[in-house]
Amino acid sequence: MAEEAEPSLDIPRHLKYWKMCLRSPLPSLYLSNEGNRMALAYFIINSITILTPFHNTPQKDGTIPAPLIAPGERRQLREWVLSHQHPSGGFSGTSSLVFPLRDYEEWDFETGTSSQEHLGLANITATLFALQLLALLSDDENPKTAFRGVDRVQTLRWLRRLQREDGSFGEVLKMLPGHGWFIGGGYDMRYCYIAASIRWILRGDVKEGEPGWVEDFDTGALAQYILSSQTYDGGFAGSSKEEPHAGYAYCAIGALSLLDRPLEDSQACHPSKILHSGIRDMPGLIHWLASRQFSYLEPGQHDDDYDSDEDEVNFTLPRILADLSLDGNQRYIGYNGRCNKVADTCYTWWVGAALANLGREGLVQHAPARRFLLEKMQHRIGGFGKKPGNPPDLYHACFGLCILAVMGEEGLNKLDSALALPVETVRRIEKARRALLSREGENGTAGRLAKDIVDIGLGLRDEKPGWLTAVEG
Amino acid sequence: MPPKSKAAPKPKGTEPSKQPTPTPSPASNTTAVPATIAARSQFRYDDSRPHDAARLKIGLAGLPRDEQAAWISARFARTPAARTRLPPKAQRELWRQVNEASFPVRALRGSKHSWGRDRNESEVSGYSAERFDEREGRRAQLTCLEVASRGFRERREREGKGVRDIVTGDKIVVTEAEVEAERIRRGEMAALRSELYGTVQGSFALDPEWDDIVPIPQGEPEAALAAIAYPADYDEAISYLRAVMLKKEYSQRCLRLTETIIEMNPAHYTVWLYRASNVFALKLPITDEMEWLNKVALVNLKNYQIWHHRHLLVDNLYPTLAGNPDELARFATTERKFLTQILVQDTKNYHVWSYRSYLVGKLGVWGSPEELKSIEDLIDDDVRNNSAWSHRFFLVFSDPAHTTPGLAATEPDPAAPQDITDREVEYAKEKINLAPQNQSPWNYLKGVLVKGSQKLSSVEDFASGFVKGLGNKDGSEAVQSTHALDLLAEIYAEKREKEKADLCLRRLGEKWDRIRIGYWEWRRKCLEEA
Repeated sequence: MAEEAEPSLDIPRHLKYWKMCLRSPLPSLYLSNEGNRMALAYFIINSITILTPFHNTPQKDGTIPAPLIAPGERRQLREWVLSHQHPSGGFSGTSSLVFPLRDYEEWDFETGTSSQEHLGLANITATLFALQLLALLSDDENPKTAFRGVDRVQTLRWLRRLQREDGSFGEVLKMLPGHGWFIGGGYDMRYCYIAASIRWILRGDVKEGEPGWVEDFDTGALAQYILSSQTYDGGFAGSSKEEPHAGYAYCAIGALSLLDRPLEDSQACHPSKILHSGIRDMPGLIHWLASRQFSYLEPGQHDDDYDSDEDEVNFTLPRILADLSLDGNQRYIGYNGRCNKVADTCYTWWVGAALANLGREGLVQHAPARRFLLEKMQHRIGGFGKKPGNPPDLYHACFGLCILAVMGEEGLNKLDSALALPVETVRRIEKARRALLSREGENGTAGRLAKDIVDIGLGLRDEKPGWLTAVEG
Repeated sequence: MPPKSKAAPKPKGTEPSKQPTPTPSPASNTTAVPATIAARSQFRYDDSRPHDAARLKIGLAGLPRDEQAAWISARFARTPAARTRLPPKAQRELWRQVNEASFPVRALRGSKHSWGRDRNESEVSGYSAERFDEREGRRAQLTCLEVASRGFRERREREGKGVRDIVTGDKIVVTEAEVEAERIRRGEMAALRSELYGTVQGSFALDPEWDDIVPIPQGEPEAALAAIAYPADYDEAISYLRAVMLKKEYSQRCLRLTETIIEMNPAHYTVWLYRASNVFALKLPITDEMEWLNKVALVNLKNYQIWHHRHLLVDNLYPTLAGNPDELARFATTERKFLTQILVQDTKNYHVWSYRSYLVGKLGVWGSPEELKSIEDLIDDDVRNNSAWSHRFFLVFSDPAHTTPGLAATEPDPAAPQDITDREVEYAKEKINLAPQNQSPWNYLKGVLVKGSQKLSSVEDFASGFVKGLGNKDGSEAVQSTHALDLLAEIYAEKREKEKADLCLRRLGEKWDRIRIGYWEWRRKCLEEA
């Protein structure tokens, strides 16, 4: 069989797609994501960051391309993200759940109840995406200020309250009449991963008794909950009672490794004791992850199944098993999220990144997976769709880029597969965490107040005064 | 002192519409009815100003002398100077001349009037007289309705303040009939506004039931991310939701409000939690809520929140059933029927399966023959339905009646009875025979053997049945299932027959499962190091 040319990633086309998502309102088919706008915002900004070089390199004609998001706009967008922060910690997922501050005051005044009631509107998922966005949108000149304005202590306290007795996490806290505090959200490995991520991003290594110390959540209980969710076939499910799922496997691996990830100069894959000594059946897990790959065969016309609901059909198998070894059937490798299901762009990410986090990315072949994404899932207008031929959507378009970046695609920024952010952004998180902690460690309120006033001043001005840059170094 | 009005008899022709004027005027040459109201206005304007059009065109000096004289006289008669400066006699003479010329003294002012635009952004000035009159009729109708509506609001306000009726002395009470009439009235008003101006009003603003709520619209800075082009009615409903959530109102109308929003966006977790708050605060029967939820679930198959809400409801319903085995069994049956109905449409729906496993645990129906039968039906329907296989493993190996509690799924269970393990091994084998390249029952088979603390080699013969002449170079090598080969590699490794195990792995990578070559090579390396 003749060698076919390898496809290439058309970066300007993808940028064009993301520019459209950045500049125009999203069509109403995204209405079901209205409660999770912070997630959509993350998909947009993360993708643009992956596609844009961090250090502006001159083009062939010597000019430096203008960034898609100018520094002034980055600052405004950070303000927008911060406007979702809740008075009692955490972030809301959507502006429709953000009330003017005076409304909170009035509420307390009238009812005389604890201001804790407001917690119901902050959401764990939105909180992670908000923190990631602040890092992605950080000031290129001074990235350590990325978390200015984040109420670290309140957010970590709130996070602790989202943990259930069994060690798992919910997504929201809500006072239910006659029931008291209720931790909302299903038993879902995603929240466990998100809790571990928020903890890694914000907590730092403050010792008990030092300023800025916040009681940690029960990391042992979380690890136990996750470890006991491994299923008989080696995968991971939302809980031990359910079917394994690639997204949950990624979350389980990611959460465990984030629990003991170093705070400085950290890598997605590190010798995590909690992960590597904790998982009961590591060969089973790797077997299960490797089994998510399959030869993508064009759905034949004889295949009546394909017309029915795309989420319940099984992937196509050749009539004769030996046909799988034919070269033509080796060209595209798709990934599914569960046994016997069809391929979907995002599972190339969830499985590929999970293996990378385990340090096992070498067990899968990148070229056919890349071909599958670029030739079958990439859309003419840029972005990636969920299934072959689908129009692009934010979620699949973002994770399609993420996995290409993990596989080392030329022209994309390197990606941290555990935090789903460019490596450079992770470095900025580390800097910003350090800066946040040093501010919280400052003695007395006067110093803090002065800093706050400077912050407010900065918020009002587009550009930083020269003397401040000199002071901050 | 100016002369009495008798000195200035009402000149003929001041109201041209009332009597035909003999004076030739530019417009009166045409007897045709003006086509539009703008043309009609122009006609009236010109008619009240004879010679004006001609004068503006060619100048006063260009007019015939008599017309010049008439125009000047009429113009002069209009000025205050004519009254104050002219002696009475001269005034009479002036007016005589004006009357003889039958010149209208009162000229219409300004012909530039804006009539506004209609709902289609067309100028109303382009309307015909009939059409315009009809529109004006509608506008009058709307005004009447608005007056009545204001009256309603005022009565309601007085009712709230406990004001007494002046005539009867009774406290003002707004009746249901009045509210209903107002609701109809607002519907008519909205229809009229839409017809006249093209404005659309939200349904909550039209409903008198929501008059006491001041909606809180969302404000957002210019620089915002991921704004969604929502429909206007969603925006309105959310602004009312914000208001009632802030008030902590729990009521039937709030319940309906959540229903409206859920219909538009069933994925909004906050709305669901607020709905649950209403159900609990109003102490509504959980079973009614579940019945409502069934309908919602059937039209929103992919939704996650619905199942989470159901989970919460069952947690609250369960204590009322717990003491009554009959009730509990009945509930389990109706739920199973409903789940079957849903799974027929979407056999691998993760949320439904999650809920199902939760329900089994909550109601303690692991051992229920109906539950197991229901899963077998799904596997018979599609032997590759891995969700059903996973649920079966949970049913069999988490049943507290014959398992050790607290064990992980991957751990051997000394309490697992031999007969059950044997039964499950046979079940898996039977299904593998139907479709040997289906991984689900192979995974299941291995899982059962581990649970039952049985050696993998106990199925060596079975697995070998799918592999012929492995490693033969004469073309006689035949593999029906890569999963059999995979299991055989493990079996040989278990038996410390390294070479045989290695051959299985090598042939998988070389020929039978080439896409996973990296994985099979890694397994070979592990085998070597073991």
